[in-house]
Amino acid sequence: MSSEKIAENARLLGGEDVDVSNNRVPPPEASVLKGPSRLKALQAVAHSVAFDEDQNIKTPKNNAFWNQEMGRIQYFICKILLVGMYLVFGSFRYLQYEYNAMKLRVWNVIYNPSNTPQLIRQDVTKLDKIPHRLAAILEMKSAGSVGGGAKGLMNDGSEVVCWTVSAGIKHLILYDFDGILKKNVLEFREEIRAKLSKYFGPSNVPKFALRIPHKNKVYFSNDDSDKVSLEISLLSNRDGRQTIVDLTKTMAELTKSKELKAEDITMRLMDKELTQLVGPEPDLLLYFGPSLDLQGFPPWHLRLTEFHWEQDNNQVAYSIFIRGLHKYSNCKINVGK
Amino acid sequence: MRVPGFVRSRIIAPSDPAAAEVSSKVLKQIYPIIDKIVSWLRAFQLFIKLQQLLQNLLINILAAGPVPQHISFIMDGNRRFAKKMNMPVKRGHEAGGVTLLSLCYVLKKMGVRCVSAYAFSIENFNRPPEEVNALTNMFAVKLDEFARKANDYRDPLYQSRLKIVGDHSLISEEMREKIKRVEEMTNDGDEFTLFICFPYTSRNDIWHATQTSVEECVQQSLEPRALTVEEFNKKMYLNDYSHKCDLLIRTSGHLRLSDYMLWQVHESGDIKFSPTLWPDFKFFQLYLMILNWSFFTTIQRYIFHGSKKSQSKPAFWNRKKSSKYSLEDLPAAPVAVSITGERDPS
Repeated sequence: MSSEKIAENARLLGGEDVDVSNNRVPPPEASVLKGPSRLKALQAVAHSVAFDEDQNIKTPKNNAFWNQEMGRIQYFICKILLVGMYLVFGSFRYLQYEYNAMKLRVWNVIYNPSNTPQLIRQDVTKLDKIPHRLAAILEMKSAGSVGGGAKGLMNDGSEVVCWTVSAGIKHLILYDFDGILKKNVLEFREEIRAKLSKYFGPSNVPKFALRIPHKNKVYFSNDDSDKVSLEISLLSNRDGRQTIVDLTKTMAELTKSKELKAEDITMRLMDKELTQLVGPEPDLLLYFGPSLDLQGFPPWHLRLTEFHWEQDNNQVAYSIFIRGLHKYSNCKINVGK
Repeated sequence: MRVPGFVRSRIIAPSDPAAAEVSSKVLKQIYPIIDKIVSWLRAFQLFIKLQQLLQNLLINILAAGPVPQHISFIMDGNRRFAKKMNMPVKRGHEAGGVTLLSLCYVLKKMGVRCVSAYAFSIENFNRPPEEVNALTNMFAVKLDEFARKANDYRDPLYQSRLKIVGDHSLISEEMREKIKRVEEMTNDGDEFTLFICFPYTSRNDIWHATQTSVEECVQQSLEPRALTVEEFNKKMYLNDYSHKCDLLIRTSGHLRLSDYMLWQVHESGDIKFSPTLWPDFKFFQLYLMILNWSFFTTIQRYIFHGSKKSQSKPAFWNRKKSSKYSLEDLPAAPVAVSITGERDPS
């Protein structure tokens, strides 16, 4: 049984495009800081005194033999103290947020690349090593805000593409939860081309290829497909858990029809299949949000990936990109040591 | 506009090693003094009592709010700790074990249902054999200790369940027997579960789940296409707690997951990294992280529920819905007369 055939079957199975569940609960810090509002926070804290939203939260029932359960009055006092603590912590966190926002603004002025590939390359040549494959998690902001909507997302994506080309990295993985980039590939390709011609001049736009591993399709920037300087893979939530389950289904079907032996399902085979279905694992993952939120990035591929994000940052900025590369060049990789 | 090169290059490097050196030198001078003061204070029984009281109070306070269900640790930095303190590597691992146990006391008291810890990676078999042996032996001793504690009604860890998860085909027969025995001994506790991942990697976990699903399909002749993500979840090592890990804490400053809890954390887990080495990771640092989680969860739940949940407000809050009448309930409008003298037929 060739590995290509398994991957092909899994793709066919996935072709029935199961609707990805949209009820993901993001990690609390990241989700709150995406649209920070002091008023909402205060309301929430005040609300938590008076009403127990979660009836199933139990008072610590630890070892009833020794510590008795918390009494009502004790529970009430604790609740009040908790709210006090929230207020102190919240105001501290607010100051920290403002400080970080200021710091990021200063960085953005200092690191401003102003659409010049030479400067980006200059920054990169100082580094000892750069990642072979870079991944970035992008997200769509609400359509009403500045740089929001699908258009804003594509703009962010093409910006990252330009930096990556200028830095000399050959592979880029762009991940967005809903797969908006995937759905609008052709538009996105035009957007990238326009951005690249701004950086490199319209006469010598670097060649690139857009890959959608899930559908096994490649879109080239020009008609001829030789010598692309950047390969971009577009991933979405679909490529995460669901793909692994699809692969399992395929393998189960093949085992049932005796085309595959159960002993042949090894880690190596899984890895090979998932590399075909999703792509190789990235070395560095950039996230342009306020607090690390992996958003369902394919789990198999996160194994040893370095993460980089800046606390309380909320925009796709060059400073995050270059600082991520800096950090990567300084980190030591040791498996199992 | 371009900032001059020398300014740029000064700021561009994220952290200047020389500056870090200076500040760490200062800290190195301060830390022993603090340590000395604390150890001097520890000599008094009263101080210890006070410390315990305060800790209990803090735990109770946090327990009144939302608390994560499942906390996971990557215990990194034991060896560096040993090196720093000029101790043999083995002692570093021992110190790490003590830290884990003391944090378990705290978390159990807080109402956390499940704690998991990365004790030994499959990749760790590449380490020198003496260290692997020492680790395994120490682990065996710790297992007994934990089992004794879980069965002792005087201990705070009474009635907690211990599960050793991972690829057990890689460890010796003797060890497997022991693990089985200990798991049976602690099987009746259901308030608190401690998962120790011993030889574990997340990829191995996913692969193992795939394999069992395939085998189950073939043996019970199930329809392969009916497999869902939820069913797949249940086949993983951490069965009930596989779908979600609320808070993952990694110590000693590396910003990667190192093949741990990938499946559990990649959708909605909060991941926190701490620069301290694991044996130095104490109550207070953990406390701040959980406070942070609890604070943001409170707000998140409020924003999430607030929009659709109004019945949780007390009765007097809901004023009469004065504007919510249907059209038919309104009193009849006067007769409509047009300027051309046209009237409604009525």
